[in-house]
Amino acid sequence: MIRRIGPLCVGAVLFTLFRPTLAATAIGDLAPDFTLPAASGGNVRLSEHRGDVVLLTFWSSHCAVCLAQLEALSQLQTTYRSAGLVTLAISVDDDMKSATQFAKSHPERFPVLFDRLKEVGRAYGIEAIPTTVLIDRRGHVRYVQSDYHGTDNSYVARVRALLDDPL
Amino acid sequence: MTSARFFRRTVATLTVALCLTCQLASGAEPPATPPAAPAAAAPASAATVPAAAPAGAGAVATPAPAVSAGPDTSTRALDEQIQDLKQSVVDLNRDLFVLEEELLFPANTQVAVFLSMDVGEFFALDSVTLKIDNHEVSNYLYTPREVAALVKGGVQRLYVGNLKAGNHELVALFSGKGPNDRDYSRGASTKFEKGVGAKYLELRISDRVRSQQPEFEIKDWE
Repeated sequence: MIRRIGPLCVGAVLFTLFRPTLAATAIGDLAPDFTLPAASGGNVRLSEHRGDVVLLTFWSSHCAVCLAQLEALSQLQTTYRSAGLVTLAISVDDDMKSATQFAKSHPERFPVLFDRLKEVGRAYGIEAIPTTVLIDRRGHVRYVQSDYHGTDNSYVARVRALLDDPL
Repeated sequence: MTSARFFRRTVATLTVALCLTCQLASGAEPPATPPAAPAAAAPASAATVPAAAPAGAGAVATPAPAVSAGPDTSTRALDEQIQDLKQSVVDLNRDLFVLEEELLFPANTQVAVFLSMDVGEFFALDSVTLKIDNHEVSNYLYTPREVAALVKGGVQRLYVGNLKAGNHELVALFSGKGPNDRDYSRGASTKFEKGVGAKYLELRISDRVRSQQPEFEIKDWE
């Protein structure tokens, strides 16, 4: 029995140690481009917003924290839209219906996109939701924050710093 | 053979670019020093001249244009060097692109599919899925900006790949909004023969005014 399980255990340990890691985006990397369908219709491509500061937020309609963050982001977007802030809320829901319903019932002031195949989430190495990714005007990832606390507005300062940074 | 030629050209261009960079790096130093020297010397001469004679004022004024012309000339030269360097980089980029295309998609196996749109009143393009021999090779989502560019007459290279010689089938599935803003999906297919040369196919979306419907066709560029 041990002879049978032994190699399996060794294999499992080796797999854990040397498992193929996803090429997650690191700070300073060029943000992977994507095109996703929007809840309001049409498609949105990230590279078309080069020159703007882009805030990506990965969320799910089943995540209460995400919904609270979306409310906060809505205010942030309203304040800094004219300065060149673009917010894209990317839903990673398995069921697009609930995400669509949420998007319709919460007409936020930014596009709600559907990452149905989770390709964009994988490209950015998203491991938890909500996750916020800040991209500068040159298209480089400058800040990644997982989780959200209502009192934590650290990314607001970063957004302002990036908006002050000219192209 | 052609790839080797392009490679040689690329290396040559790269060398030129590097030389220019080195020149630029070494040439940036000298222009900075001449203006500093006259500037430092000027107060000394200005201090001595009034005591000598009023004509000395003219003597102070005359060297001034020579001093100001120096930096201008050197700045212009530097600017020309920068422009040359930029041009070399653009040329190098073009050569590398051509080289990459030739290496990745040799003419004897290359198949390219283009997409064009005429008018677009009866169809708002959303996505195109391309299948060659029942294998999905491209699934492209269009943004409003891209659609606008296509309507203005732009042609998009939707896919470029390699296929061996012989008979193949291309299927294109178009989806978007049709007449009366309804969801609209249509397909078009064609069978083509891949020969020894590159193969170019064009997906055309046009409006059929008589039936008030969009029309999808695939043109085989011989």
